[in-house]
Amino acid sequence: MPAVQETIDQVRQIDVDQYKYGFETHIEVEKAPKGLSEDIIRFISAKKNEPEWMLEWRLGAYRRWLTLEEPTWARVSYPKIDFNEIYYYAAPKGTAGPKSLDEVDPEILKVYEKLGIPLKEQEILAGVEKSKIAVDAVFDSVSVVTTFKEELKKAGVIFMSISEAIREHPELVQKYLGSVVPTTDNYYATLNSAVFTDGSFVYVPKGVRCPMELSTYFRINEKNTGQFERTLIIADEGAYVSYLEGCTAPQRDENQLHAAVVELVALDDAEIKYSTVQNWYPGDKDGKGGIYNFVTKRGDCRGKNSKISWTQVETGSAITWKYPSCILRGDNSRGEFYSIAVSNGHQQIDSGTKMIHLGKNTSSRIISKGIAAGVSENTYRGQVSAHRKAENARNFTQCDSLLIGDKCGAHTVPYIEAKNSTAQFEHEATTSKISEDQLFYCLQRGIPEEAAIALIVNGFVKEVIQELPMEFAVEAQKLIGISLEGSVG
Amino acid sequence: MNMQQAIKMTAAETALVDAYTTQIGDLPGDGSVLSVRDTLVHELRTAGLPTRRVESWHYTDLRTLLRAVPDADPTAFADRVDALVPGSTVLSVRNGGAEVKGSLPEGVIVRSYVDSLLDGSAAAGLAVLGFDDAIGRINGGLVRGGLEIDVAAETALEDPLEIQLVQSLGQAHTRFPVTFGAGVTATVIERHLSTDDAESFVSSVSDVTLAEDADVIWIILQQQGAADTHLGQIRFDLGKNAKLHLFVINAGGKLVRQEIHGKTSGEGADFKLRGINLLGGESHTDVTFTLGHNVPHTTSTEIIRNVVFDRAKGVFQGKILVAKDAQKTDARMACNTLLLSDDADLSAKPELEIFADDVQCGHGATVADIDHTQLFYMLARGIPENKARAMLVNAFVAEIVEELEDHEAVVEALEGVISTWLDKHA
Repeated sequence: MPAVQETIDQVRQIDVDQYKYGFETHIEVEKAPKGLSEDIIRFISAKKNEPEWMLEWRLGAYRRWLTLEEPTWARVSYPKIDFNEIYYYAAPKGTAGPKSLDEVDPEILKVYEKLGIPLKEQEILAGVEKSKIAVDAVFDSVSVVTTFKEELKKAGVIFMSISEAIREHPELVQKYLGSVVPTTDNYYATLNSAVFTDGSFVYVPKGVRCPMELSTYFRINEKNTGQFERTLIIADEGAYVSYLEGCTAPQRDENQLHAAVVELVALDDAEIKYSTVQNWYPGDKDGKGGIYNFVTKRGDCRGKNSKISWTQVETGSAITWKYPSCILRGDNSRGEFYSIAVSNGHQQIDSGTKMIHLGKNTSSRIISKGIAAGVSENTYRGQVSAHRKAENARNFTQCDSLLIGDKCGAHTVPYIEAKNSTAQFEHEATTSKISEDQLFYCLQRGIPEEAAIALIVNGFVKEVIQELPMEFAVEAQKLIGISLEGSVG
Repeated sequence: MNMQQAIKMTAAETALVDAYTTQIGDLPGDGSVLSVRDTLVHELRTAGLPTRRVESWHYTDLRTLLRAVPDADPTAFADRVDALVPGSTVLSVRNGGAEVKGSLPEGVIVRSYVDSLLDGSAAAGLAVLGFDDAIGRINGGLVRGGLEIDVAAETALEDPLEIQLVQSLGQAHTRFPVTFGAGVTATVIERHLSTDDAESFVSSVSDVTLAEDADVIWIILQQQGAADTHLGQIRFDLGKNAKLHLFVINAGGKLVRQEIHGKTSGEGADFKLRGINLLGGESHTDVTFTLGHNVPHTTSTEIIRNVVFDRAKGVFQGKILVAKDAQKTDARMACNTLLLSDDADLSAKPELEIFADDVQCGHGATVADIDHTQLFYMLARGIPENKARAMLVNAFVAEIVEELEDHEAVVEALEGVISTWLDKHA
């Protein structure tokens, strides 16, 4: 069934030309020289006052990276990236560890204010209705401020930039960094390992339920810089943490590279919930500019009964190449992936997930909704595999996509691999998300067709939206606001 | 895959290239045919067989799996066997050599493919479908037999036409360009079998065209020996309102890849694929399917049922492409698997690639063991477990065959094949 007018209008509203986070801030920055070499890596490492082992780790990754070839299997096309034309380090001047918010450049604070990100603790505390969210704000290559650190500390939760963590908690970083996404993993992850500049670090100790939502807000501001952040989240036995991530960038004609790595580790009975609202600059209506978002996100359900859940709302970036995955290693562990990917203009999305079942009685669930408009390409690519010893592995996958207009493409590429006879996999990609039965039921009760469709669609999108924490759900809903009828698998 | 980079050839690659160089004077065709052959073998020599890095061969790393290729054995000989369905017209192909003799039903014209190779008319058809078309490449380079079949417009064939490919030892590389004229109704059985357990290597390409309103059932029954390598490919092109009902049954072979590549060229065309893969032993069986819905208002459904025993590996890759203008396409694909052993392995990749917005497309894939409730139900009624299991497995695949209910003799023959196989393996 073709898309109804309402849907089309709503998609237009989020058209690339109306990207409202495209402003640029002029602040003094300190940059490393352009290009990539061992010297640049030494420079970054020195800037961060890193210990020797960290430098060696980076250099090892860099040497490995030199031997790798850029992957070409994804359904995306872009001109070859000249990795020597990128600045690998850009930091606002005078940000060498501000002690409090007062020391942060007011220009930067204005940026976050404009983006609607609460950085002032007192304001948040004063607001009775708002719930508390601790924020780590990453501006180009550095983390400028992390809020609520003290309060979190009382609960035993460590929440700081990864640069600080390398200095203050080297034992934790050394133990877990690269244990989920090794430096040898893939082209972009290896590059990230060599040059990552900042990111967030979270450690939730045994039995602690993190008292507030944690969040990172990534902002690329400088021209020709690449943002390479690294996030590491560890939930120790019985811990729980919910983490949110948001991203924006100014409107520019050149493409900018964002190659992040996110590693999650869930030990016995722990649970990590990771939510992303990705709204990088997608390029203009002619496909000029925009962020190349090449991200490796992976969670390791290392312990028994652990659970990792990824929720993503992807509306930005010129190119998205991203597969948040779960390694279900612990017995009875569970992985979840909920995704809404909207592409418009000339955007290209190749995204999905991997659920690797290794332990016994592991289960996973994948719900993916793709919406393609304009001349965009939207691909779901997902892998579900059960290994020999993964007894009673269980997966349910559902991916649906909707095309608006006849110049875009929607593709589904699932890889299903079963090596155990007790595995039960179900994969479905259905056409009309609005079943005739449901529609008939509504119509029969006097609800007009448009309203009925809206009603059913609302319930349908909620599957993903409701997985987002409240604060993000509102933003996400605004960002999408799209009916998903007339979808194709 | 970097075509320029010289590779170190594997034993199998060397054997295939050698098979070409030693036979070069004997292979039918010169001029344009020879130049296509040269190109194809050169590509094989420089690029090698596909590895898992080639997306369409991700689950069948031919370079690793194909350890050796038996030499072409001109003295090897295979006897013809009885037709699968009594009353069929049998077109016999023994060890790659086709015979054109005997009486044919009215409207059916058969000529040896060797003639087309010799007069050069086969040259265009030898081109590969893409850089990853390893089957087309091997077959095109080495083909030395086959049949060209034309079924004249408005012909209604009552009994099936059986293309019987019997193999014993050695290699065989065959091609079957087949055209069905407007309004033809026909049933064709493409049957591959071997007469002994010795290793053989077989490649076969069928190139099928259906004109307007043609209605064809094409059955590929692969029952080669437990040591055999079978590389099969069927290409098809459907005209306006043409209907093709393709059955693929794999019940043999050690290393099997059956490719199905088709497109709809006329509005109203309808394609059905029904696949049954009975996999046991140490076999590796791959069914790879692509269908291009190129024009508006065409439909397709695909149902694949896999039953995997022992240490067998099964692969199903299906890709439905809906072109930009192919509005109102209705395409549905399902792949269901019973994984019956912990050492068995099944990989499925059902893909959709869609560029039109007013279409209905979907796919589903399931992998599971036998339903325990169903099993319990039968046990509770005093049916012994092994028998109950056999019945459930049989029902799982036989359901597909029953769709041919209008062709009783065919259903009976195929059910026979299935139950014989299950009796032996289950």
